[in-house]
Amino acid sequence: MRYIILAFIFILSLQGDEEYQLGKGTQVGSLPFYVGGYFSLDYKHTDDIDRYRVDDIAILGYGNYEKFSYMAEFEFKEYYVKTYENGVKTTEKDNKLYTERLYLDYNLDENYMFRVGKYNSPIGFWNLLPINVLRETTSNPITSSIIFPKFTTGLGSSYLSYGEGELKIDAILQHNDGIDAEYNNYKIDRHYGFGISYSIDDYTFKLNSGYFNNLTDNRVNEDLYYMLLSAKYESEKYQFLTEVGSQKSKSQYTTDYALYVQGLYRFTEQHIGVIRVESYEQSINPTSDDMLIFGYTYRPLYPIAIKSEYQFHSKSSQNQFLFSFSVLF
Amino acid sequence: MKTVIRTILLLLIINSLSFASEYAIISNIKMKELSEAQIKAIYLKKITVVNDISVVPVNLGAMDSLRLKFENKILDMSFERLKSYWTKEHYLGKRPPLSMQSAQSVKAFVKNVEGAVGYVNAEIVDSDVKVLYRWSE
Repeated sequence: MRYIILAFIFILSLQGDEEYQLGKGTQVGSLPFYVGGYFSLDYKHTDDIDRYRVDDIAILGYGNYEKFSYMAEFEFKEYYVKTYENGVKTTEKDNKLYTERLYLDYNLDENYMFRVGKYNSPIGFWNLLPINVLRETTSNPITSSIIFPKFTTGLGSSYLSYGEGELKIDAILQHNDGIDAEYNNYKIDRHYGFGISYSIDDYTFKLNSGYFNNLTDNRVNEDLYYMLLSAKYESEKYQFLTEVGSQKSKSQYTTDYALYVQGLYRFTEQHIGVIRVESYEQSINPTSDDMLIFGYTYRPLYPIAIKSEYQFHSKSSQNQFLFSFSVLF
Repeated sequence: MKTVIRTILLLLIINSLSFASEYAIISNIKMKELSEAQIKAIYLKKITVVNDISVVPVNLGAMDSLRLKFENKILDMSFERLKSYWTKEHYLGKRPPLSMQSAQSVKAFVKNVEGAVGYVNAEIVDSDVKVLYRWSE
């Protein structure tokens, strides 16, 4: 059924009122409904592994009517993966279409917004724009996947105020099963969190904290608490981004710390250099790592990203080269 | 001699001021007062409702010199940075403001549409619209 709806939308979008621009989507007929999508292909090389992957194929649909707006995103994840490990070839396919985001917003006034549905948890900076084509490296920092649930299904709200700078407060509330609950870094049915951020000139500072229960099969702890501090500086040429977080259960720290510091320099709008330093230490299933990552991105147009990066790990056997091609349309 | 130099400098300053262009951000007359930061937030679609009314920011054409001045002065963003901003906003479900081809069209739209906000050369402003903010260059 989902496929029939998608085909119908595609045909309607061919008759949109607006001229199509790559990276901006297109209107469906003259309805308050816009469609777009994205995909990414990537390659990974380590001493033992070569992996080729069609990672994301996704379609977006959104629009607004008076005080309401909505967003739907459906995605094939790891659609096709071919791996060569020590000379042995394996191929995996996942044809399931996942619901990545599905929510309705109500904008009460210039200060308050209320949301219901499945959405990206508004935690830190990285998790707000997590797709390959919009982020600055093919890889994600470990901080963005071990501290908090990436997705929340339930209620959300935000308060926005303008004075000298911009103040934003977010509230997160889940007390139910998630939509496509397995399509999340943590399977959860409870998540309560808040965030406060302040932006002035080119600087933004953010604090998030919250609680969730971990229903993942290999769980050791069910009740987990997290905190994340983030800061960003952005100018025409430079971007500086850092996030540092920690996670604990009722009795102990499960992740003592996870942090990254990333610097970005735009040589031109098309050519971008990135350096990222990462470190983390987990008490649960004791693991730790330190990483130094060098990346280069070429964007012939902003919605097209061709990226390469090399990662140096504290265990040199984990050093790896990554390459990706991604497009937002 | 000093008096002559002072007079020349004064005349030069007066002359440059008299040629400074003045611009205005205008809204429908029912709109409440808005700060510069709120106007920026409206044009970046961070604020979509004011006084129970959906706000409708209106741009001039992409290559219009007044649009570039507005984006540099009020939004404090270059053309390239705005392009990347709207690509990211597409992923978040937001569209850039409408564009119109002339300042007269912007003024007529703002006059007739509740919640509309636009920017024009100050010399075409009249009592049909409300001035939210003025700047000159």
